[in-house]
Amino acid sequence: MIKELYQYRQLLKSNVRKEIRGKYKGSFLGVLWSFVNPLLMTLVYAIVFPFLLRNSQEHYTTFIIIGILPWNWFTTSISQGTNSILVNGGIIKKVYFPRAILPISIIVSGLVNFLISCLIIFIFLICSGIGFSFNILYLPIIILLQFILQLGIILITSSIDVYVRDAEYIINFFISLLFYATPILYSLDMFPQKLRFILQLNPVASLVTSYKNILYYQIAPNFMQLGYVLVLSLFLLWIGMKIFNKLEKGFAEEL
Amino acid sequence: MKKRNETNKAIVVKDVYKRFKLVYDKPFTLKERLIFWKNTKVGYHEVLKGINLTINKGETVALVGVNGSGKSTLLKLMTKIIYPTTGEIKTYGKLTSLLELGAGFHQDFTGRENIYFNASIFGLTAAEIDKRVQDIIDFSELGDFIEAPVRTYSSGMYMRLAFSVAINVDAEILLIDEILAVGDKHFQDKCYAKLEELRNSGKTIVIVSHNTGAIEKLCDRAIWLYDGEIREDGPSKKVIKKYLEVCG
Repeated sequence: MIKELYQYRQLLKSNVRKEIRGKYKGSFLGVLWSFVNPLLMTLVYAIVFPFLLRNSQEHYTTFIIIGILPWNWFTTSISQGTNSILVNGGIIKKVYFPRAILPISIIVSGLVNFLISCLIIFIFLICSGIGFSFNILYLPIIILLQFILQLGIILITSSIDVYVRDAEYIINFFISLLFYATPILYSLDMFPQKLRFILQLNPVASLVTSYKNILYYQIAPNFMQLGYVLVLSLFLLWIGMKIFNKLEKGFAEEL
Repeated sequence: MKKRNETNKAIVVKDVYKRFKLVYDKPFTLKERLIFWKNTKVGYHEVLKGINLTINKGETVALVGVNGSGKSTLLKLMTKIIYPTTGEIKTYGKLTSLLELGAGFHQDFTGRENIYFNASIFGLTAAEIDKRVQDIIDFSELGDFIEAPVRTYSSGMYMRLAFSVAINVDAEILLIDEILAVGDKHFQDKCYAKLEELRNSGKTIVIVSHNTGAIEKLCDRAIWLYDGEIREDGPSKKVIKKYLEVCG
């Protein structure tokens, strides 16, 4: 499977380009929307939440934007990825190519987007006076973990969505639920130890906490948590590849 | 995919059955699936019934038969868009199929961009496409239109571009479904000339067409499918003559 994907790398490239460029075609701001959107979200939260949380963090805007941008990558990847086979039904019925290219290109285009939005994070870090520490070197590792996690999830969801169209709605519900279970607007320290343990079962929570650790608190990430995310992600990827390989044979007939 | 075989086989179809499930009220949602899980009317339609066939490298094979005899299904199975219910299909060498024109064209992208996109669907790398892009444009005779978005094309132009891409990807096996009917006489002749050129250079071609005159000239072997089974297999002249006697 991997060898074949490598052979079709050009398709992946042009598909990613299409995702990035084609998505905002016809809109005035174009690709800029993928950055304006999370920025506006951040603005809203930065205004509203200090009223709700009494002792909010210092540099609260920077604090939340470090959480929102990775979260944004996560949600767009999962929701678009889940749909990726369905919306490309036309082409799947007409040509053979490794179907996994479709979900993968969603994640890769999201990655490109996220790497650019890291610049926004850096600007906030500079402007707020927090600055950088060498802990930023952990950043690629965390990004890679998030990449694998998302790939595993959408290989499963995208192939199931072809057979049961409800998958899309169920997943969207879980995503909005997960938003509140992820320490984006708050920090996990606010919770008692026991509850914190449960919240940490959510791999996205561990990822967001790690982003905040290395960028905001400027400390090393919790390797126990990252190890857990790694094991879980690889497991999901393995399962995902199995499910996808099995279900992809029926795609052309089901769509 | 690129398994090299010592023998000179290109496509081996072994005991293939293909059955399509016909679901009348297809349950797409969970609710429907749960409520109607015993009530969905399911019928089966057997399109191919035990096809056995071997196509050697360098052969040009025509598939003939009336509508619904399973020709297109067989082609789709060979490209791996769908998979057989039972049996096995093996192909040796790089394979390109032209089942429907312009599959994967993007309306908003220019002709040139679509060449890159379409050729990459066939598994070419950027460098390989760079080498061919001029040939493709020349063959399509689109001229300056190549820089215009594909949505502005007429159906003939669309077809010319799609055919030009598919024929220039240098596949060893070329599968073609009834598609050449779209172009004008001049372009059709050009396509058949190109196919003959590919045939003479040793490529394997499998073509479905109702244009019996043209394929008789192009192909050296014909297979007549009737109701999901092979009725006749042999030199194209002989098979097509028999086919026309019965179904013509």
